[in-house]
Amino acid sequence: MSKKIIASFTVSRLEILDEQGRTDAELMPDLTDDDLVRLYELMLLTRQFDQRALHLQREGRLGTYPSVLGQEASQVGSAYALQNSDWLFPAFRELGVFVTLGYPLAEIYQYWNGDERGLLCPEQLNIFPICIAVGTHIPHAVGAAMAARYRGDPIATACYFGDGGTSKGDFHEGLNMAGVFQAPVVFIIQNNQWAISISRNHQTAAETLAQKAIAYGIPGIQVDGNDVLAVYQATREALQRARSGGGPSLIECETYRMADHTTADDAARYRDPEEVQRWQRRDPLLRMRRFLADRGLWDDARQQQLETEIDARLDRAVAREEATPPARARDIFAYTWTEMTPRQKRQLQQLRDLRELDHG
Amino acid sequence: MKESLFEFILPDLGEGVVEAEIRAWHVAVGERVKEHQSALEVETDKAVVDVPVPRAGIIRTLNHEVGDRVPVGSVLLTIATGEFEADSVPAPAAGAVVSPVRKSHGIVGVLPEAPSAGPPEGPVTEAPVVSGEKKAVPLRALPRVRALAKARGVALETLRGSGPDGRITEEDVLTAAGAEPSGDAGDSGRRVPLAGLRRRIAEHLLEAQRRTAFVTTMAETDVTRLWTLKARQRDELAGRGVKLTLLPFFMKATQHALAEFPRLNARVDEAAGEIELLAECHLGVAVDSREGLLVPVVRDVGTKSVVDLAIELQQLAEQAESRSLSREQLQGSTFTLTNFGGFGGSFATPVINYPNVAILGFGGISEKPWVVEGEIVIRRILPLSLTFDHRVLDGAEATRFLVRVGQFLEDPGLLFIESV
Repeated sequence: MSKKIIASFTVSRLEILDEQGRTDAELMPDLTDDDLVRLYELMLLTRQFDQRALHLQREGRLGTYPSVLGQEASQVGSAYALQNSDWLFPAFRELGVFVTLGYPLAEIYQYWNGDERGLLCPEQLNIFPICIAVGTHIPHAVGAAMAARYRGDPIATACYFGDGGTSKGDFHEGLNMAGVFQAPVVFIIQNNQWAISISRNHQTAAETLAQKAIAYGIPGIQVDGNDVLAVYQATREALQRARSGGGPSLIECETYRMADHTTADDAARYRDPEEVQRWQRRDPLLRMRRFLADRGLWDDARQQQLETEIDARLDRAVAREEATPPARARDIFAYTWTEMTPRQKRQLQQLRDLRELDHG
Repeated sequence: MKESLFEFILPDLGEGVVEAEIRAWHVAVGERVKEHQSALEVETDKAVVDVPVPRAGIIRTLNHEVGDRVPVGSVLLTIATGEFEADSVPAPAAGAVVSPVRKSHGIVGVLPEAPSAGPPEGPVTEAPVVSGEKKAVPLRALPRVRALAKARGVALETLRGSGPDGRITEEDVLTAAGAEPSGDAGDSGRRVPLAGLRRRIAEHLLEAQRRTAFVTTMAETDVTRLWTLKARQRDELAGRGVKLTLLPFFMKATQHALAEFPRLNARVDEAAGEIELLAECHLGVAVDSREGLLVPVVRDVGTKSVVDLAIELQQLAEQAESRSLSREQLQGSTFTLTNFGGFGGSFATPVINYPNVAILGFGGISEKPWVVEGEIVIRRILPLSLTFDHRVLDGAEATRFLVRVGQFLEDPGLLFIESV
């Protein structure tokens, strides 16, 4: 008889760029100056798009909207590592990912204005529809990854969800299956500390979310989610491993939801304003801007110019969105099945009968 | 000079928000504003929200005042947009308040609503076309409402929708069909939204039930003498335009009894763990209005005569009916009365008007056999129901208070003895 340690595990955390904009040269990812500037530009675009969306919602020009304020690095950094052939399975608070992949801005506004046609993914991108239901898309991402593996496609799938999503049964099932079948999927947790009004401490007793990977026999890592370089590096490694047959990975991006859960929420009712202030100092854009300025890649003039350019771009996107004619009721039938079922045909006829009332 | 007037409609700022209270205006009439510039701060059920304007231009009107509760869909303010010469357009006086209107009107002629509703691209066959080439605004109504209209023989195009974006509601159809819009009789099987005043009543009552340890005690009192007194004075006061009811007497009796039992004229400070005994006597009086229960407050009952109270109650009832009671008139009660006798009830278990400590209910007066000095006689009997917060006082004290109110009502002369 004996009792002995049969296995022990460690959890790593990756930080490359600190709050002052200093970097660890040894850990620096292989990125050109253009890439570094591009990362910052994408984060700024995300932030300004986000701010505009909040204004539009308050003006009655957009539906309920979930702000990504504070999570720009976690989203832009991870998406920057994706290739067009990879598949994206988003939750719903991934604006920065969409922006980075080059999704048309007008269509993002269109979707948040309640028009599902905004989710019609452009040909060159591989993006599944936004998934509002928490965590239900995790098994889908695993399934798509398994399919890619059977077909021998050298791609990976990237699945985004929040800290709240890790408490779902789908998370367990998805990660377990991905581990067993070595599916080429990268699970990217946007740990923004709050699942609506449930804090991270009330979400799980586990010290990190990254360590959940251990139970499924897959690599897991925590990264400073407000450090765009660390997020990029960790995601890039995980994606390369997946594409080359190395199986799935879990990445916990530790970040913070600076805004309310959505425009229909008031976070001041349940969270300490001091906590928000603490995270303010860790702003992902601020540190990247400092870093670029130190390298001579950025200055105030460029900042101002870019802000103006982005504003003009957003103006055009909003104008395009607002000029789009609304969907017609009958479109529901056109987009559900390739061919309508008898029941749907009856329903379409009923709709037409009702419409006849309009014409008297 | 070519100017168009843009009406900024209060949007649904959350999910299912039905109204918002104006907390502050950040802009003034005549001020030039940029798109997305913050114009006002409002408070909804969910949050305090800064509201920016969707158009650049010059503020022409601010249609509400701070403190107003504004339903979603109302015009908040108007902005002169487009090409205009600011100096040549007479601006309304600062702080001008105009009554909300729904459709857009240009200074010169009628203009399209907003660019966002611009003409659709390509052929759209479903847009209903009425006379000539003029495009009609599409009818907005749910299939259920359309089916209802068909069943009731109501032509939808003749209706003006009262819902969001001019949507035609079931009520619109029922009203047009001649049915009572809010009566329950024809509404069986219909789902009525718990909105506006009804919802606030619901929330308030639920809060009272959750936060108090409520007990109801009941008593009957002989008000024959009071009845006679009222009948005697009624005609004389009617000549002065005052309608005398028993309610002012009930209020005076309550006020005097409260002076003797201060724990019933109090509120619980839960944060401090204290009972705050209140010096003043402001009586909330439950009033049944068309849209539901309202509780206006009569202040400083101790300084007012029965006639004063009768006049004030008359005014409050009129205001309640026209929904013109101010917030101040609905706040600050120290104790509440509810007079449901008029509807035929006798005893009840009224719900405390939190944060009051108790509520006194007056049932219907009826003639009953009553024993007076060993004889059975017919007297006018008033049922009393007192609900109190058992956290603050016990049954014995509450019952003594109730009996005391009963004594004053039984022998109104006692009020004369007690009054200072």
